[in-house]
Amino acid sequence: MTPVPIPGGGVESTPSTPSASPSAFEHSLWEALRQVIDPELGVNIVDLGLVYSVTSDAGVVSVVMTVTTPGCPMEHSLTFGVETSVLATPGVRGVQVQVVHEPPWNPSMMSDEARTLTGIR
Amino acid sequence: MNASNPLAHAPDVTIPLRFMIVGIVSLMTSVVLLVAHPDVLSSYHYNQRVIAITHLFVLGFALSVVTGAMYQLVPVALETRLHSERLARWHFPIHLISVVGMVWMFWIWDMKQVGHFGSGLAVGVGFFVWNLVRTLRQVRGWTVVSFGIASTLFWLVAVILAGLAVAAGKSTYELVGRPDLAPWLVAPLAGLKATADFLSRFEPLAIMHAHAHLGVLGVFLLLIIGIGYKLVPMFLISEIQNPRRAWASLWVVNLGLAASATTILLQHRLKPVAALIVITGLALYGLELAAIVRARRRRALDWGLRGFLLSQVLLAPLALIGLWLARPGMVLDESVGRFENAYGFLALFGVIAFAILGMLYKILPFLVWFVAYGHQVGRAKTPALNDMYSTPVQVAGLGLWVLGLAVGLTSIALAHTPLSRIAALVLTASLLLFFLNAARILSHLVRPRTQPLPTPNQPILSSL
Repeated sequence: MTPVPIPGGGVESTPSTPSASPSAFEHSLWEALRQVIDPELGVNIVDLGLVYSVTSDAGVVSVVMTVTTPGCPMEHSLTFGVETSVLATPGVRGVQVQVVHEPPWNPSMMSDEARTLTGIR
Repeated sequence: MNASNPLAHAPDVTIPLRFMIVGIVSLMTSVVLLVAHPDVLSSYHYNQRVIAITHLFVLGFALSVVTGAMYQLVPVALETRLHSERLARWHFPIHLISVVGMVWMFWIWDMKQVGHFGSGLAVGVGFFVWNLVRTLRQVRGWTVVSFGIASTLFWLVAVILAGLAVAAGKSTYELVGRPDLAPWLVAPLAGLKATADFLSRFEPLAIMHAHAHLGVLGVFLLLIIGIGYKLVPMFLISEIQNPRRAWASLWVVNLGLAASATTILLQHRLKPVAALIVITGLALYGLELAAIVRARRRRALDWGLRGFLLSQVLLAPLALIGLWLARPGMVLDESVGRFENAYGFLALFGVIAFAILGMLYKILPFLVWFVAYGHQVGRAKTPALNDMYSTPVQVAGLGLWVLGLAVGLTSIALAHTPLSRIAALVLTASLLLFFLNAARILSHLVRPRTQPLPTPNQPILSSL
């Protein structure tokens, strides 16, 4: 499986699913993650650069993500949203979400559009 | 596989919400009582109305909001769980009944009943402190935030005990020594009478001033500083710039408070030195807060944070008035009484209420969003937090609050009762606007506003 760089702040995705072509499946996973929006900043977690990696093995997807600060009150809602949106993606049989604080998030991980929208530099 | 419960790691949000609603209603009642009795601001005599309104503000508003916020935010800020939700649930009715009873008994000046309801309050605070201490014990290592919270809990116990002692000191003990006294009452009554005898050695006003400083500085200001070191960097995408300075600010304020409470109680000539220690701690806090704000990555300051930061700026004039009042040999005359009124008004309405109102615009939408939309993330399009209320109404409300503060301080300086009533009316108008926005926020609980998720070819960068 070859890691694929993801635009908009994501780190990598290594898809493996029997039900869809790798690129279409990857695309659908990242699109699903873009449905999860941080309500404080009003921007989706992919453009915020909160998703560090997305990998899948036989339809079981693992997402490694972070939050803008340790102890972020939105952490559990965001991880719930990730689980919900990924599970709703065709071809997904299961999902695991891991929240990490290394490397710590910083605004350089955001997409240009997200930086413009939030005024974060 | 099912998605996990997003609320599983947080205490039931209705617990902090209950406290906060009681707090907001108490604040409104306080300012409405000021409209009815504006002489509380414009005259300098301590009377039962002053004491009742002050306790309604401090216990009904500030302590209720702070308690609710701490039940929610402390586990979040320290990345742990609340030790016991059950204790927190029991705390609420005890707190509510005790505060209502205390304020009512202050109003009719029945100090024995104040003591009884105050004992109920102390039981509730005991539940709260025990719960938070056990929560803090789950955290590995001390941070500046957990130290700020622990300091607050320490001074909360101290101020409650001091308050009970004051109530004991102002009660009468005609039952002591009577042969028909129930045996189980002998020891408690003897203890209360001994407390009253001990307190009679001190000047009554000095006792009240020491009690007030323990509460305002020790509980509310130290909590604002400690939690502020977490929330302000979090909201502004910044970080503490000088951890040693942040730690020092808390240590020095703690030290200064201990010295201030002691020197105020003893009417000692070193009162100004103690005040200067507190001011040094506040200056360190101010420097650190300014550095955090300057280093922020999120350039735009929302109005809630602007309100909070402005309230912290007001610490500067408050400190100057406090230093002036700390002069040794000060006699309470009309001029000093006006300064004391200004000091109390600025501390309660300028610093504490303004800081809480600013932060409520961050905390209340979050709590409601959590309940209304926590299960909807990834399933439906949910509103952003700042879409849950009207920003123009918020700006008008905060602006009116500043105007009310200015008019209130002017009325105190001039001892002008009609102007004090106008100030109270302006503050009431500000709170009505806050109520309007709070109602909008709370309405999401009964009528959630979700929309279908956008299809993949629609832009979903923002929820706006």
